[in-house]
Amino acid sequence: MMRYLPWIALSAALASVPFLSTYHASLAVYAVVLALFCTSVNIVVGYLGLISFGHAAFLGLGAYTAGLLTVKLGVNYWLAVVLGMLPGAALGALVGFASLRLSGAYFAIATLVVSEILRIVAMNWIDLTRGALGLLVPKPGVGPFGFEGLRFTHSHLIIAILALATVLFLVSRLVASPYGRAWLLLRDQPKLAASVGISGLRYKTLAVAVSGAIAALAGGMLVPKILVLTPDLFSSTLSATGLLGAILGGRATIAGPVLGGAIFAVAPELLRFVEEYRIAVFALLLLAVVRIRPEGLMSLLPRRRRHARHARTQPNDVEIAPRTALADIRVDRLTKSFGGLAAVRDVTFPIPRGQVLGIIGPNGAGKTTCLNLISAFLTPSSGQVTMGERVISDSQPHETARHGIVRTFQHTTLSAGKTVLENVVAATHLLERETLPGALWRGAGFRRREADRLALGWACLDYVGLGERADMEAGSLAYGEQRMLSIAITLATKPHFLLLDEPAAGLNHSEAMAFAALIENLREKGFTVVIVDHNLRMMLRICDRLVVMHHGELLADGDPMEVRNNPEVISAYLGGGPRKQKEAADVEMH
Amino acid sequence: MGDLVLQQLANGLSVGMTYALIALGLTMVFGVLHIVNFAHGEFYMLGGLVTALLTSRAGVPYLACLPAAAILVAAAGWATDRLAVRPVIGRPDGATIVLVATFAAGLIINETVLATLGPAPIRVDGIAGVVKLGPVSLTWQRIFAIVFGILLIAIFQIILRRTEFGRQLRAVAQSDYASRVIGLDVERIKSLTFILAACVAALAGALIAPILSFNAGMGYHTAIHGFVVVVIGTMGSIPGAVICGLGLGLLESVASIFIGQEIASACIYALLIVTLLFRPNGVFSRSA
Repeated sequence: MMRYLPWIALSAALASVPFLSTYHASLAVYAVVLALFCTSVNIVVGYLGLISFGHAAFLGLGAYTAGLLTVKLGVNYWLAVVLGMLPGAALGALVGFASLRLSGAYFAIATLVVSEILRIVAMNWIDLTRGALGLLVPKPGVGPFGFEGLRFTHSHLIIAILALATVLFLVSRLVASPYGRAWLLLRDQPKLAASVGISGLRYKTLAVAVSGAIAALAGGMLVPKILVLTPDLFSSTLSATGLLGAILGGRATIAGPVLGGAIFAVAPELLRFVEEYRIAVFALLLLAVVRIRPEGLMSLLPRRRRHARHARTQPNDVEIAPRTALADIRVDRLTKSFGGLAAVRDVTFPIPRGQVLGIIGPNGAGKTTCLNLISAFLTPSSGQVTMGERVISDSQPHETARHGIVRTFQHTTLSAGKTVLENVVAATHLLERETLPGALWRGAGFRRREADRLALGWACLDYVGLGERADMEAGSLAYGEQRMLSIAITLATKPHFLLLDEPAAGLNHSEAMAFAALIENLREKGFTVVIVDHNLRMMLRICDRLVVMHHGELLADGDPMEVRNNPEVISAYLGGGPRKQKEAADVEMH
Repeated sequence: MGDLVLQQLANGLSVGMTYALIALGLTMVFGVLHIVNFAHGEFYMLGGLVTALLTSRAGVPYLACLPAAAILVAAAGWATDRLAVRPVIGRPDGATIVLVATFAAGLIINETVLATLGPAPIRVDGIAGVVKLGPVSLTWQRIFAIVFGILLIAIFQIILRRTEFGRQLRAVAQSDYASRVIGLDVERIKSLTFILAACVAALAGALIAPILSFNAGMGYHTAIHGFVVVVIGTMGSIPGAVICGLGLGLLESVASIFIGQEIASACIYALLIVTLLFRPNGVFSRSA
């Protein structure tokens, strides 16, 4: 039943058009335009988690492009609307690119300023736009939508509804594809997203470009209703309305912004008695929503089981196995300074394939910095990390995942609000590359690849023993299970090298035992594992080799037993004279 | 031509002073509360509004309007903090939501004033008289705005450096957590900072109203200028805010001789975008 709901809604909307008065049809056009606009805002605000106070920039750009192409060049209006989406997308791509460097408030300021610049340009480029006087756009023909007995507004409404339906259909497909999963992961856990190979540049730029194109379409759809282009199309009030609608309806939902947009189109008619105060009332409403129900109106609906259990259709025959790594990793004379402090100084050691390598050392020894350098989350001050011929310390964090190097984080890093399975599936990003048309078209190949990703996700969960927990929210897992989920997430990227940052910290004895068994099994399967941890007893048991760091320098490198008896290591750990500590260390380690 | 430039420089100094005062509040709220207050420009507008209404409708002398503006807008700042800032910043996605909440608060203030008074400007009678300094003539009001602005900044520095409250404020700016540990009432200090910033913005509005006359849209545009100033002058930096504020006023004033006021603004906004992209921590930061 739920599956057919959108089609029923579309049919009902189209069927009701002829029965509307011209006044109501015109109002409905405005509602559809705002629904489009709010959908556009929602991609940025809901799915990327960035606040835009200037989305009218895209809407105005679309409206002006469509209008000017028609008036100045005589292009067919509806074709001009489609063409008008291009500058919207281009500006969106620019803003999306900028969003990589600008977070939070800075992004909001930048969007506000961009729309203000465009408003000033439209106001002052009199030759082109006639400034504040406005540019008249003739009523376009409606072609095949001009039915007998229908007025222009009715035909316009039909076109607008079809445009909205198409946009919603495509956006919902995009959201339910690796694209949407990448957006949400970039929003919730940007570092985790990078570690599993998601490029912020690619996905944010694309998302804002899509958003810009949709807003431009909304602008193009608005013009035949107002028939005059004024700089007000770039106004902050319009931007605010889009933001209000998206948040009121429900961020990161498909139907929410449509609902929000429709409310803001109809509300002024219902709020006639407050006349000029209506924007103030809207703003009051927005403040109330963010205070009382920041999830928006959609969250008031009875919740469908969003995380409906993903049935395991066939027996899972996906094997957890390392990808073939082309070469060993080599850490070569690596140095990293923060200001005057060298956190890692001139450190060299190899990471040969098939080994479990432990990095130990007292607090502040530079272990985590080392891991951050190997996974390219930090760039070295000097020296390099290489994998065969390739220098990986120059790359971006998301690129190392592509070379089969994936890390975990010291503080458990998960999408707490998503299910355990969703967490793992989001990390299968690198399994096969998708294209935008592929994700929109959803052909047989795409569906097969989605099934592959799901199967791999299940296999990773089963492997770490979380198969039974697949439908729970990740945030509700016990601490030890969350650590295991972190490992399942890294496995879902099909890595070769696993870099684990204090994976056993805070685990109780039985959990630590299970973890040690897991590492041994990973070694048998041929993975290369690098572990930073403080639990010496466990490290001595599971590691093939230990690297000891102290004050940023390499203190020892070798067989665990040999390292354990190294007097310098003992002194670093316990201080004081070597002999006494040897005894103390023996006590400590057994 | 040279005289015109000198004249515009003199005029730009008083406008720049208001930018500096706006930016001072923005930067302080950012430094202590770690938020960008999108309603800040409306406190400035309210300061102008109080002055305009009191002088034109109630016949109150201009100088008496300044404390009235500061007190009334402090109340507005208190209400905004209570309704739109304090309840949201502690929440998990508070950093994002507070942008929307302050934006909504600003919209409520602005649209209410606009709907009540309309968009037409209201003339405000300030301090009368003109002073001739060689080729440049300055109204006493402009001179008063500059002197009063310098005084405000000086008082501000004294509060910050010499008083108990100033020390507490700097402690909270450095570390919220550590301030809690040593038993400071962090919530109270944050609220007071917010209100103090609103006061300074209100005084800036009251100082500029006789010069540019009051209109309901003045807050929005000045707020964008304030953002330009704090971004270029590095968020959280007080010298950056003052220097860039004055600089922006002078630059805009001189540029408007050649390219017109609005285009000059557009160029300055473009400068902001460029700064954001290439030096997101501001020109005054140590490293980009």
